[in-house]
Amino acid sequence: MSAHVEAHGLPGGVTAGKVGVWWFLASEIMVFGGLIASYIVFRLGGAGWAESSHHLSVTLAAVNTLVLLTSSFTVVQAFVAADRGDVRALRGYLALTILGGLLFLGIKSIEYTTEIRAGFTPSAGIFWSFYYTMTGLHGLHVLGGIVVNGVILATAATCVKNPQRVELAGLYWHFVDVVWIFLFPLLYLA
Amino acid sequence: MTVGKPHPNYITVYLWLLGLMGLSVAASFLPGSRTLAVVVIFAIAFVKSLLVAANFMHLRFEPVAIYAFVLIPLLFLVVLAAALFPDFVWRALIR
Repeated sequence: MSAHVEAHGLPGGVTAGKVGVWWFLASEIMVFGGLIASYIVFRLGGAGWAESSHHLSVTLAAVNTLVLLTSSFTVVQAFVAADRGDVRALRGYLALTILGGLLFLGIKSIEYTTEIRAGFTPSAGIFWSFYYTMTGLHGLHVLGGIVVNGVILATAATCVKNPQRVELAGLYWHFVDVVWIFLFPLLYLA
Repeated sequence: MTVGKPHPNYITVYLWLLGLMGLSVAASFLPGSRTLAVVVIFAIAFVKSLLVAANFMHLRFEPVAIYAFVLIPLLFLVVLAAALFPDFVWRALIR
């Protein structure tokens, strides 16, 4: 006896895979949103936060923002390449995206090293606890995205036959980019 | 569904994102009121996130049902922030 299981999507041609990824991203909005809301309330209610944030490197963070925005562009170009069946371009854009993710983590680790050497450890104050929690959690998501894009890169020949896999992996990567779009001003600029 | 459909001009979106990033860094050096600079910086961040969500994440091409996955958690966040807000007001009052 065999059982046939069919995954249903939503009306309007939305596949089950896309529903699944958006469902996951909805839970991620709550994870980062909760942290960001708490950070804002603490910062509005306490003094000395702006002074702590002045010890961060705006230059390195701006370069990292540029890197993530560029990797968002390359991952969407990977989807375009998959959509037109160009496996070579798909591999190239995915490799660039992974490189962007690694560069982001490299720059972040330089920042962490500089800050910790200056005595700004996670226990140096509530600003630093929030800083390391939010950027550390975000960094783990970047690492996760690198792994996901690595899997897509390894299966690129299959992905050109099913470009939606590239689009779904890209959705996650763009979400990580959107989180950074808010973390950058919250921690470094405001 | 966005597979096999025409794509938006991703290069234009990317250039806008870069320009807005530069503007937000410049806004952080605005003289005068810090509040104005913060409002400008977060307004720019909001526009950047909309650009990414609408174009790179293809939300503008998705049916309304997908928007629920974004709007419902955002609504929960507003409730969370509203619940935390009295704490901030209380701290300000006793300072």
